[in-house]
Amino acid sequence: MAGFVLEGIGIKGISCAVPKKVFDNTEFYDKFGKEAVDSTIKMTGVRYSHRAPDEQTASDLCFVAARNLIEKKGIDPAEIGAVVFISQTPDYRLPATACVLHKRLGLSKNCMAFDVNLGCSGWVYGVNIVGSLLKTGAIDKALLLFGDTSVRTVSPEDRGAVMLFGEGGSATLLAKDENDSISGELMTDGEGFKSIIMPAGGFRNPNASTERVEQPDGVVRSAYDGYMNGTDVFSFTITQVPKLIKNFSEKNGKTPDQYDALILHQANLYILQQISRKTKVPMEKIPVSLDRYGNTSGTSIPITLCDAYGDKSNENLHLLLSGFGIGLSWGVVEANINSDDIFPIVVTNEIFTEGTEVFD
Amino acid sequence: MTDQEKIALLEEAFEADEGTLTPETELDSVDGWGSMAKLTLIVLMDEECGKTLKSDDIKKFVTIKDIMDYMG
Repeated sequence: MAGFVLEGIGIKGISCAVPKKVFDNTEFYDKFGKEAVDSTIKMTGVRYSHRAPDEQTASDLCFVAARNLIEKKGIDPAEIGAVVFISQTPDYRLPATACVLHKRLGLSKNCMAFDVNLGCSGWVYGVNIVGSLLKTGAIDKALLLFGDTSVRTVSPEDRGAVMLFGEGGSATLLAKDENDSISGELMTDGEGFKSIIMPAGGFRNPNASTERVEQPDGVVRSAYDGYMNGTDVFSFTITQVPKLIKNFSEKNGKTPDQYDALILHQANLYILQQISRKTKVPMEKIPVSLDRYGNTSGTSIPITLCDAYGDKSNENLHLLLSGFGIGLSWGVVEANINSDDIFPIVVTNEIFTEGTEVFD
Repeated sequence: MTDQEKIALLEEAFEADEGTLTPETELDSVDGWGSMAKLTLIVLMDEECGKTLKSDDIKKFVTIKDIMDYMG
């Protein structure tokens, strides 16, 4: 297993931003029928989600989260030596959205900036990536920005998907601290690359039709819409994720329930319950935010932290955090975070209008 | 596991009344055979049989006996 230890690195701030509009899944009664909607809500646990207007992007949400984090932490933006934007809904095909965020945040030229394409495992991967940059670079502070606007990546006819996702952005500050450390393990199974996929829009299927037609699974979508084989993803999750959580804890001389909390990617409620059962961590130690924010892809770990601890004062939390999904890709991170460094979720309608006017 | 035990587990998974399923029962005729039942079946296979059930396996199931054979 691809384990890592980042001695002398810590998570020193987490902020999240979500769009203003709150969507209630019962608004789908007319479209999908009451019975189907109610049973989907019961299984996924998602009743409400925040949804962005078309013009608001994941980077807009990350920008607001990062600006809030910089203000709250009282950091000089010039101190930030790296910014990594992880998303599957970037602003453009080119350039990297991290460069746009670098400009908007007014960061120094002495700063690395790049994008990474990962979804639900993206935040735990990002902790490793950004922590490694700090470890090897002559920089003291770095930002991990994860955001996705997933609702618009799926067909509006895809009930299971449109009722599951929410949208949001996050900013996580990592910094050098000789008394702190982060460890974790990251995994991949590329055999499952088709389990969650948006086949067109890249360069593999250049002439795919944009027409939405009924697919073998009965859902009307085009190759530009996201597809998820829910059965296989569920099967993967309930076997691989608990195994990683248990093995990692054991290697660190613990059982999973000995952490202050297990922070899980908010895939859906049924999956959280299965992981709880298999890892023997009671649901009381697994905070849930998906009922009000939906599955926000890799943002769901920071959203869950901000939701659970944003208003708590000076609690030293020893946490196990796990993200898993598209790739297939999954991982676990063990970290100490003080609740004073976890800020309440910000709601915003801010849009970077300058970003739409490019050919000047 | 005996056939009787397997059927009892499947009746519970599909929320079917006791004694309503037989090996010959076709899955399409079972009320509870929906997407939730498939997830429950994955959990059942993992827990009771130590097997990782995939969507391709499920597609091949026509009768209750097909599932019982998979259970081993």
